Order: sequence, then structure tokens, then C-alpha cells
Amino acid sequence: MSDADVRGRVVQAMMDIMDVERAALNDEVSPDTLEAWDSLSHMNLVLALEEEFGLRFTDEEIMAMLSIPQIVQTLVAKGA
Amino acid sequence: MPSFAEIQRLLRSAELASLPLLSVGVLRNATLEPIEPYLRYSAMRAGFRAEVHFSSFAGAFQEALDGREKVLSRSDLALVWLHFDTASPRLAREFPTLSRADVQSELERTLGELRVLLAGARRQTQATLLCVGFETPPLPALGIADGEAAGFGQQAVVRALNDGMREALAALGNAYFLDLSQVLARLGVERFYDPRYWHIGRAPYARDALREVADTVTRYWVATRGRARKCLVLDCDNVLWGGIAGEEEFAGLALGTEHPGSAFREFQQEVKNLAARGVILALCSKNEPETVWRVFRDHPGMLLQERDIAASRINWRDKAENLREIAAELNIGLDSLVFLDDSEFEVERVRSALPMVEAVHLPADRAVEYRNLLLAGGWFDTLSISEEDRTRSAMYRAEADRRRAHDEIPDLTAYLRSLEMVAELALAGPGEIARVAQLTQRTNQFNLTTRRYSEDDIRTFVESPDSDVLTIRVSDRFGDAGLVGAAILRCQGPLAIVDTLLMSCRVLGRGVEQVLAESCVALAARRHCSEIEGHYLRSAKNGLVAEFWSSVGFQVVKREAAEVVYRRRLSDSGSRPDWFKAIVGPFPVETLNE
Repeated sequence: MSDADVRGRVVQAMMDIMDVERAALNDEVSPDTLEAWDSLSHMNLVLALEEEFGLRFTDEEIMAMLSIPQIVQTLVAKGA
Repeated sequence: MPSFAEIQRLLRSAELASLPLLSVGVLRNATLEPIEPYLRYSAMRAGFRAEVHFSSFAGAFQEALDGREKVLSRSDLALVWLHFDTASPRLAREFPTLSRADVQSELERTLGELRVLLAGARRQTQATLLCVGFETPPLPALGIADGEAAGFGQQAVVRALNDGMREALAALGNAYFLDLSQVLARLGVERFYDPRYWHIGRAPYARDALREVADTVTRYWVATRGRARKCLVLDCDNVLWGGIAGEEEFAGLALGTEHPGSAFREFQQEVKNLAARGVILALCSKNEPETVWRVFRDHPGMLLQERDIAASRINWRDKAENLREIAAELNIGLDSLVFLDDSEFEVERVRSALPMVEAVHLPADRAVEYRNLLLAGGWFDTLSISEEDRTRSAMYRAEADRRRAHDEIPDLTAYLRSLEMVAELALAGPGEIARVAQLTQRTNQFNLTTRRYSEDDIRTFVESPDSDVLTIRVSDRFGDAGLVGAAILRCQGPLAIVDTLLMSCRVLGRGVEQVLAESCVALAARRHCSEIEGHYLRSAKNGLVAEFWSSVGFQVVKREAAEVVYRRRLSDSGSRPDWFKAIVGPFPVETLNE
């Protein structure tokens, strides 16, 4: 799967979980800049991505997945 | 099963807004927020729009004591869920370092806190209270010695805490214990806990555990609302036995004590177990009736018998239409049915034509799992099982016999007289409280006010000097129908008010309802009232009784959209069914026998 495919599925999951528009989800957004991205929605996003991609993140990975590029990179590194 | 993201999408659907609100207040000491979408989703599937309000992380006790967070005061259902490791870190995490005296005092401290919390919660709200027990630690710190430690193992201590919790809940009334150990046992350690989020955000439970607890909470809610399903409708071929009856000889059907027939026999036993709990059984199968009944009668592997089946539609017609007829014949709503079939086509057909029926696909290549699928469904869960439940299938069988007798005797009154009915009226005592509460929770159609009462509520009516709870039992030459109806009468000076009047639909049309109404009048007279008032509160399901009070001689005094108020002077005489063999009661009812 290409990085772009992975990114598309990540963005879709974020839209579902955080109820935000696609346009709001650029590479720069982070929990600091996006109001809907708080610690609870981050947890829900992690659960959703684990279901979506059928894998399990470590606690260290969860804490580092703080931007879309970082999430995509983590997923690709885990073989998504 | 939809994924977490799919659930989020489904919860944004517009239809949700039209469902009745269910406000759930949660007292907790750990991060439980991810349960919210699961709870809202399972409530939506049961026909409710759930809102979930959490107490603050450390505020559970404060809220129970003074209600300052207003989590409980606006709840229809209060959920108390304390995480064991947070409630008692010493018992959960340091157990082997404690002396027996330490364990005992920590156990008492923890239980004391729980009692304060539960009693406080009850003071804040009369809503149904559901307390999640502590899960028995699956990895006890004493290892294999835990079970040997003469009552002081970690698991034994948790069981003692749970027993204490159950006792406290029983004393509160309308309060129930959700057994978290069952959830843990179903899922296993890996799927129950999420240690990552325990460390990152004090969220101890994995999503599967939250999903299971959410489903269980909904099952409790449905049971308290009287919305549990009542009737199991079974397809026959590849459901009750393997293969198609009529296309194969008996020897070709899979049914018996050996594989593969043992899977079907095991499933039939579970169906019989449901019948013993009061679930009505029916058949809906595409076949020739004689072919199916021959298997029932003559196949040596059959456990179910013809007399276990209250209604059947064995024909080649549309199954949705057949299900409609079965519900009508049994006098129950379509939303009381669960339908099992091995054909995806039939299941889809029923789902689209009758969405209120729970239609479940049993994949024929997984017959070995049928039993577990049935047990895990939870469709028929009730809060308790009464003696009445245990004999329900016999009653429905008797009803089927009555219908046959009816066919032989065309004149209705002559038929009713031939039944030799005996109605027995009584003021409810302690032995009837559970059954009466259950009737108020379950009866939807013949129910004038649809007020749902807990056992405690009924006890209050029974014990109060100003109210009476009247019950009616009916039997006839075919059998005992049991306690089929009840009324609650409240007296206010010269006026007697019928707070509740309800009856099981299986005795509908036999004059029992008339006897019950006239008995309310007789009871009011005994209390020296001069007038009696009846109410009709319209619900989605009680259109059947919209004209009931008029039919028993009451006059309308106030009519609004949702409520009609009727009155009758006690000096006015009512109509009395004359086909009962006897009507007996605790007050003069001879007049009723005229």
C-alpha cells in the first residue's frame, strides 16, 4: 500500500472520530493546533486505526503519533 | 460487528434524533469515556438515544454525597463503575505484602466506601442503579497458591467485596449488580485490559471490554423497561436438525448424540432451556407440515416436542407474512419476536420487511456454534425468573388446546362457559410482589397506564394503608393460567383511583378484564369510597384498551391527547360476565356471580 493510500485512510478515520472536515486536516495539524484533537479523541483515533489496519501500537508509538505524517510513518513502518 | 469508526458514523445518522432519550450518569474513578460511543450504539440498536454524563475523575463520592455535578439528578440510569485497582491499590497491587489483619481492614474500608457511594447515589436519584462489580483478578499475585489461601486469597477477597456490593444493592431496591468477571471470562486478559492506556491515561479497560459492558448495560435497561423479547421463532431444516426433512430419510438427518447431529441436539436443549425460562417457542419453516411434525414425533434424536411449540407456520409462503400471523395468533407484538434461520435470504427478507423483529442468521456450516450464539444473544434477558415464567409454555400449550375447542363450539358464550373458568381475586402479599412488579414492567398492550414499577414500589403500595394491590388468577379445565392480571387502587377520601390495571393478553377476550374492573369497584366500596376514577394513558402499544373504561361503565370526565380520565359512581351497577364457574375473593364478590 502506498503512503498516499495510508494517509487517505488515516484522514478518513480522523474525520469519523473527530468530526472535522477534510480541509482541516493538513500535514501541520497537531493536538496543539486542532481543538478536536484532545487526549480522548487521540485515544479513540488510536483504537480506530488499530481496527482499520489490524495492528497494535506500542505505548511509545501512541505518544509519538502527534501529526498526520508521524501517524503515516508509524503505520508504514509497521507494515501497513 | 461495526468498527469503532463505523459506529461514530452511524451515531451521526438523523434517525437517532427521533428515539426516546436515555440519560446515563456514570460515577467512576478511572477513564471510561471510550465506552460512550459503544453505549450510544447499543442503546440505539435497542431503540433509545443515549446521552452519557460522567462524573469528574475524582468526583464520584462528592456527586453521590451532594449531587453537585448534577450527573445523577438528570439520569434515567445511573451506572456506578469503580476500577478495582484504583478503589483499593493495596488489595489489587500489594496483596502479598499485607497481613491478614491488613487485608481484613482494607476489605472493610473499601466496602464501607462502596456502601456510602451507593446509598448516596440512591439519595440523589430514584433511577435504576447499575453497579459494575470488581472483576476477579485473573493473574493473582499469589499465583497458584491464591485459591489455597484459606479464604484470604486475592480472588476470595474480591468475591467477598462483590458479595458485599450485592447486599448493599439489594437493600437499595431497583439496583442491580453487573458481573464484570463474566465479561473478563468471555474475553480473556488480553482483550479485557489495555495496559498501554492504563499508563498513558488511566484508562484500564480495552475496547472489547467496554463494548461488552455497554451491551450488558443496555440489556439491563431493556429488561427494566419491559422490552425484552418474548418469543423465539425457529426455522427447522438446518436449524433444529441438519439436512432437509422430506428430501432425506430420517437416517440422513443430522440429529442425535454423535457428531454432526450432536450440535443440533445440543442446540435443541438450549431452546428447551429458554422455554423453561418462559420464552414462547414457534416454528416458521418452508416445508410440508406433516413432514416436519413427523420428525418431531418419530425421530429418536428430537428433544423438542410438538407440545413445546405454541404456534407454527409451516408452509411455502413469505416468512415475513408468517411472522406477522404468529405474532397476531399469540397476541404479542412483532418486536417481541426473535427469528432464527440458516438462510441469509430469509433473514434479510424479514429484516427489511419487519425491522422490529430481531432476525438472526445461523450459518449452517457453523452448526457447532449454534448453542453459543443462542446463549450470547441475550434477547430474552429479564431481571429475574419467576415461577410464572417456568410454566408459561404450558399455558400457551393450554391456550392452543382452547383454540381447538373454540373451533368445535361456534357460540362464544357457550364456549366460554364450557371452559369452566375460575377467577381468584386476592390482595397481593409478599409472595406476589415480584410477579406484580414483573407484570408492570412487561405488559404493554392490556395496560391502562403503563406505569413501570419495581418490587420496592409494589411493596410500598401493598404496605401503605391508603392503597391496595389486587391480583387475579385464572384457571379452567385445560389448566392453570396463573397470576394473569393486577390492579393498584389508591384511595383519596371518597375517591378511589385505579393507578394501574393490566392483564396478560393470553387471557384476553374471556371476561377476565371485566371481573378485574368490577373487583376494583367492589374493593373501593369496601373502603367506603363513593366514586372510582380510571385513567387511560396512551402509549405506542396500548391502543387495544383505549375504550376499556367506557366498556365497564365509566364516564369520561376529562379528555386530553395523551390521557383520558373516567369516573363511575359506586352506586352504578356494572356488567357482569356470567360464564365463570366461580369467582372467589377476599371481599364480597358474590354479586359478580349473578
